[in-house]
Amino acid sequence: MAMAIIRPKTMRRRLPSWVSPSFVIGGAVVLFWLFATLFPHWLSAFSPLDLAGRRLQPPSPDHLLGTDALGRDVFARTVYGARQSLPIAVLVVISAVLIGTAAGAIAGYRGGFVGAAIMRLVDITLSFPAILLAMAVAASLGPGLGNAAIAMVVVWWPIYARLVRAQVLEVREREHVEAAVAAGASDFRILTKHILPLCWTPVLISATMDLGQVILLGASLSFIGLGARPPTPEWGAMISDGTVYFYNWWIAFGAGMAILTIVLGFNFIGDGLRDYFDPRSSK
Amino acid sequence: MSVGISGYFAGHGRRWKGLLAATAFVALTLSFGAASAKTLVIARDMDVNSLDIHRSWCETCIIYNEAVYEGLLTLDANNKFVPVIAESWQASDDLTTFTFKLNPKATFSDGSKVEAKDVKWSWERLKNIKSNGSGFADTIDTVESPDAETVVVKTKGPNSEFLNIISATFFGIINSDVAQAQGKAIAGTEAAQSDASEGWFMAHSAGSGPFVFESYEPGAELRLKRNEKYWREPAKVDEVVMRQVADSVAQAQLLQSGQIDVAMQVDAETAKTLTSPDVKVESVPSFNFIYVAMAPGAVENPFPMTPEIREAISIAIDRKALREFTVGEGNGELISVPFPLHFPGADGHAIPEYNPEKAKELLAKAGKGDGFTLSATFPKLNVYGVDLSIMMQKIQQDLAKINVTLDLKPVEMSAWREKISTDHIPFTVGYYSPDFYGTSQFVQTFGLAEGTLWFKRGGAERDPSYLIPENLTLMAQALKSKPEEAEKVWFKIGENIKNANVVIPIMSPNLLLTYSSKVHGMRNSAICILPLYEVSLDD
Repeated sequence: MAMAIIRPKTMRRRLPSWVSPSFVIGGAVVLFWLFATLFPHWLSAFSPLDLAGRRLQPPSPDHLLGTDALGRDVFARTVYGARQSLPIAVLVVISAVLIGTAAGAIAGYRGGFVGAAIMRLVDITLSFPAILLAMAVAASLGPGLGNAAIAMVVVWWPIYARLVRAQVLEVREREHVEAAVAAGASDFRILTKHILPLCWTPVLISATMDLGQVILLGASLSFIGLGARPPTPEWGAMISDGTVYFYNWWIAFGAGMAILTIVLGFNFIGDGLRDYFDPRSSK
Repeated sequence: MSVGISGYFAGHGRRWKGLLAATAFVALTLSFGAASAKTLVIARDMDVNSLDIHRSWCETCIIYNEAVYEGLLTLDANNKFVPVIAESWQASDDLTTFTFKLNPKATFSDGSKVEAKDVKWSWERLKNIKSNGSGFADTIDTVESPDAETVVVKTKGPNSEFLNIISATFFGIINSDVAQAQGKAIAGTEAAQSDASEGWFMAHSAGSGPFVFESYEPGAELRLKRNEKYWREPAKVDEVVMRQVADSVAQAQLLQSGQIDVAMQVDAETAKTLTSPDVKVESVPSFNFIYVAMAPGAVENPFPMTPEIREAISIAIDRKALREFTVGEGNGELISVPFPLHFPGADGHAIPEYNPEKAKELLAKAGKGDGFTLSATFPKLNVYGVDLSIMMQKIQQDLAKINVTLDLKPVEMSAWREKISTDHIPFTVGYYSPDFYGTSQFVQTFGLAEGTLWFKRGGAERDPSYLIPENLTLMAQALKSKPEEAEKVWFKIGENIKNANVVIPIMSPNLLLTYSSKVHGMRNSAICILPLYEVSLDD
């Protein structure tokens, strides 16, 4: 009995404080979906596009999540769906970070008319609800995952621009930057060598959490027909299919659970990273 | 002096008892009235564009038009003419002059008599207002009213389907005096530019039908009440409420819980959940159909879509499996010509046999054995219980077997309309429901000749090779002929369209009538979908 009380305390001491159970769970979930993205055929024997059995079969040992209206295996489509959602989310977040960081850095470092112009553009973009703006952009470009990704980058870059500008404004006043200026370093060198390396922590935390949000937004666009085109196995599109066959609940169940778990997973990881980089915020 | 409540009651007891009794009586009377009033509640995804009979272009409008604005004649359940405002009619031997004698008993909802001048005014307004339905009146040359009960119509040419055409709900008769005086409606040639009465029609009605307009709240409900001055047997229900419920599942649940009496758009899968003994589900043949189509002149075609390639695509579609995957066997009829089931010239056409091997041979013969990709933009819709996305994905699987890849692009209806009219679409899906019982409307749409809709949609300006000019000559011949002879000509036109494989009809999905067991008289009508006049409700 005494051991049972002591051991957890000992274990807790060994782990860093930011490695919370939720971080571990989040990491495991994201690793699972990463595995599904890379090796979907190891998880499902069925093709996500071909007929796998009688249509609209409920879950069974043969078809873990049943079959859809075209007799395709829903589990296979859910697993292969990760191949659409995850890479696009990563691509969108990386693009948004690059564009947003460049814009925010220029706005924060140069200030003046250029800075004001960039920030007004940011304000205008952020004044629209993300889903509405993404819908408008995706609708004007036409349906398709590529266009949905462009729409999401348009929605997301201002978030990073604003974040990086605030960081740059703070860091540029530090003494080491003043020293670099006095030494005659170029603006580009000051920004890339002396300012931006000190700005990346909040960007990293925000980007990790945004991965889940981007997956959610991408699925929303597909749900309303502006994202993946049939027969691509995409989670939002699968949920949309499920609404037509409301009583065949399993059609939307796998995709719904996939979105739920991966969004939670990225949020948990983001929380853990925030605790790691800024332990005071967790107190 | 202070008087407490009890003291007040004690002092005024008799008066209060009297008041309470009176209140109870009024309440009972009202509740009895509510219980005895028969209100038919219908759930449907309403698509109302206008309640002006001449501007309306939607399925809900058709139901409304038929209930509120009667025509000269209508169709019974066997698609036979039944007189309504016209007591009798006569056609000249050359089928260009039609004379109608109006029923002297016919009156509008304000009690005034329906006269020949109202017919003339209504049909001239339909023609001159240049709206969606005006095309039906194009066949009319002149309308004359030699006396109050006689209408003489001259058509531009022989037209054996004229009586069918005027049974369409757009030809309902408006009380011209009321519409002109109150609604400032105009019927003259300037109507297209000057008529501004649509707002009035959205809040009033001026017909002779069994119901009158009560209220309309866009996106919520449309209410009709019984025409108390109706000149024939009164309607069997006091009020009809069409309530906006877009979703098939929600409609089914409302029906199951007894909150509505009729659900009009429940799909086959959802209908399986309607197990209550108080709910009836009938699957009846409909006049609607779904087709796929190829535009030989589409900008995105990778090369000319020759007749061999089009035939290969047609016979590579497994129609039976397609029906099974969309509506389920027993819930639809396969068709091969773009005419509704049992319309003149529609029956007796063979369904193309599913033959992927022959399709491959045809493609190889055309030099396309290695396959190709076709762009397939289609409306993202669920029509007549068929999810067009599922249907196109099934066809995509079928065509993959002959190395033809369909690049599916679901879009909103407006975007589809725009694309099909401008760049045209290499492969798409469409649907159609008749406006009247007659085949000429389908030839004007699918006839693949100059002036028809698929002349434009098929891209004839870029590739006219698919056109069949003979169809126009044949249609003129059919319109001059007696029914038996016309039937053969319509059949021939159907075969011509089928063999061209530009418009490839697939199926006529059954209509699911889902309604409470206390509702009677439900049927699908070729001209008005649901004739409300025939519907009754148990207490």
